[in-house]
Amino acid sequence: MSNSHSDTIPLHPSSQSDIDEIENLINASVQSGPATVLPARPPSPPRASIPVSSNPFIQSQIPPPPPQSSSSNQKVPSVAAAPPPPSVGNSSRIAATGFGPAPNTLTEPVWDTVKRDLSRIVSNLNLVVFPNPYREDPGKALRDWDLWGPFFFIVFLGLTLSWSASVKKSEVFAVAFALLAAGAVILTLNVLLLGGHIIFFQSLSLLGYCLFPLDIGALICMLKDNVIVKIVVVSVTLAWSSWAAYPFMSSAVNPRRKALALYPVFLMYVSVGFLIIAIN
Amino acid sequence: MDLSQPVEENYANPKTCFFHVLFKASALAFYILSTLFANSFVIIFVITVVLAALDFWVVKNVSGRILVGLRWWNEINEQGESIWRFECLDQESLARINQKDSMLFWWTLYLNAVAWGIFGIFSMVRLEVDYLLVVAVCFSLAIANIIGFTKCRKDARNKIQAFASRTIASRFSSTLQSAFSLV
Repeated sequence: MSNSHSDTIPLHPSSQSDIDEIENLINASVQSGPATVLPARPPSPPRASIPVSSNPFIQSQIPPPPPQSSSSNQKVPSVAAAPPPPSVGNSSRIAATGFGPAPNTLTEPVWDTVKRDLSRIVSNLNLVVFPNPYREDPGKALRDWDLWGPFFFIVFLGLTLSWSASVKKSEVFAVAFALLAAGAVILTLNVLLLGGHIIFFQSLSLLGYCLFPLDIGALICMLKDNVIVKIVVVSVTLAWSSWAAYPFMSSAVNPRRKALALYPVFLMYVSVGFLIIAIN
Repeated sequence: MDLSQPVEENYANPKTCFFHVLFKASALAFYILSTLFANSFVIIFVITVVLAALDFWVVKNVSGRILVGLRWWNEINEQGESIWRFECLDQESLARINQKDSMLFWWTLYLNAVAWGIFGIFSMVRLEVDYLLVVAVCFSLAIANIIGFTKCRKDARNKIQAFASRTIASRFSSTLQSAFSLV
């Protein structure tokens, strides 16, 4: 059993194939792009011991469907076939409770994505603007933030104001849009600088959704041009918007600084209210 | 297999590629040709920004998935912290991705951002604040997608390497075991 004979000893059959696989994997990891990888055999299924922070590799059992495919039941078998391993930390719990997307969103049909996004907008709107049991715990409520709702509400408010204006329509729209967008960013920075704990995009999303009452107010004011009606409607919707924004903003900061965080929000909504009343 | 390598492969998902390019091109085209279409700035703003937002959605949710097999989003966990999640297809499917699709995807993403950047410089030079607002919105949407997908691609590469090295380690140890069982 000298060393010089080690090369000529015939290997165990499974060892030879193992060595082939090792060589392929070494080549695969050395090469730069994933597109040049050529697996020698189908890769083994993801092991439960891989500590990845996001979802494990998704086995795509079918080639990606064309965008026009409307069968939604192909999502169901692929979700059942690729369950997240229980040892992966938060991601599986979140996916199981339905807060995040289902594990196999990579191969779902386009219509499913659209429906999911639309239903998320509606549910966020309900959570923020209407009374519901989650208001006591604001951090949980807008967990699934999105910016589509706020985008739509800001544009709608700008359009309504611009339509109501008889002169300088473009300036009104640009001012309204810039005021609301920059205002939301600045208000969020205000909370962060006061030492509050709030997530940037979650707060932007919240402030955008709280514009919904003012949208309704602006629409009513556009349709009815009476000053008294305008003042009443704007006051009511202003109070509604502030009530919607209050729990989230106040819970994010130190109780002694609550007023400092809430006052600018109220100020912004008051200025938008004045804009609605003053436009004629 | 070797004979077909030099032949140019076609786009694997022509419809998706078309939509991927359509909204970007129409947002840019509408912005450039805006004075031909509408007098009012409001219409220009709304249509350009809506097209840019649609493009953002299409790239993030549809063409990212289908053309390059990547997806990214943000979640807030139980403790109230925000986590960025990245998802990618497994190694075998990633290897099967059409090269042309992938090149089209990345190149149009970068060119779109560059084009909006140039328009931004133009409107800054001309001191047109209104149009600068439009450009700022479209540019930030483009940048958001670029950053998201670049991070997702890096994450995918790291995962593949980690998976490969872990598999090498386990295969190596099993080979050692089978080698020692012979002796």
